Amino acid sequence: MSTHHHDHARQSGSTHARTTTSGFGKTDTFTCVHCGLTLAALAADGRRRDHCPSCLHSRHVVDHVEGGPSECLGRMTPISIAVLRTGDWMVVHRCVRCDELTSTPVRADDNRLILMRMAVRPLAQPPFPLEAFGDV
Amino acid sequence: MPRHKNRRNDGRSRRRPQRHKDVLHARGGHRTADFRCAGCQLAVPLAAPGTAHRNHCPHCLVSLHVDGRVPGDRAAACRGRMEALSLSVRPDGEWLIIHECRSCGELSANRIAGDDNALVLMRLALRPLRDVGTEASGALLAL
Repeated sequence: MSTHHHDHARQSGSTHARTTTSGFGKTDTFTCVHCGLTLAALAADGRRRDHCPSCLHSRHVVDHVEGGPSECLGRMTPISIAVLRTGDWMVVHRCVRCDELTSTPVRADDNRLILMRMAVRPLAQPPFPLEAFGDV
Repeated sequence: MPRHKNRRNDGRSRRRPQRHKDVLHARGGHRTADFRCAGCQLAVPLAAPGTAHRNHCPHCLVSLHVDGRVPGDRAAACRGRMEALSLSVRPDGEWLIIHECRSCGELSANRIAGDDNALVLMRLALRPLRDVGTEASGALLAL
């Protein structure tokens, strides 16, 4: 994940004022490719951000099929909520350019409304009538 | 009940057409008869309503990791078991199953078929609301 974050910082032309031992400055920022929000690269808990907490969009900078950095750099939209066995939520992203899928854990400051909207989205448009489940 | 609810009527589709696949499932291809599911061991027929290519078992939704980047290319050397991870919805209302390979962790998305087990699909759709962890309960309380 470190290349992911480093590319995030580099692509947005961030300032490398104070570089920590992991190679990233505490004051680094990047700009969301979807909503344009300027974000601190470090979240409040000290971990690196990989998606915008406001609109949950990400950027395709890691190639998950072959590993290493990706040359796509496309915008990644959040499409689904996955649940780990521990009960924690993951956001599944899909690249709009090359259709690659990634999953990243939900951060504490992510937009609750968008998370909840994605979680209940399948129930809003079921492909079969839900009345039949009353008899099961 | 129609599978596409908001399909536009002007003849143009926003999504790209499905890629051509030269995998011969029937007529002397690599599979000529029913196959056993890698997850539940039930026999699965080749013909799937709503799609030309059977992707996953309709009983337990388990798939096999055989394709690489392009669906149908049979380029993956993994052959691992892919289990249904979550559900996604296309803008036209069609459900997609997100599969995760238990062997290498790769993700893939595939449309549901007409004969998929509705109860299993429903359990998958309700999973984010059922197993509520710390972050998820915060999302529920925020509403």
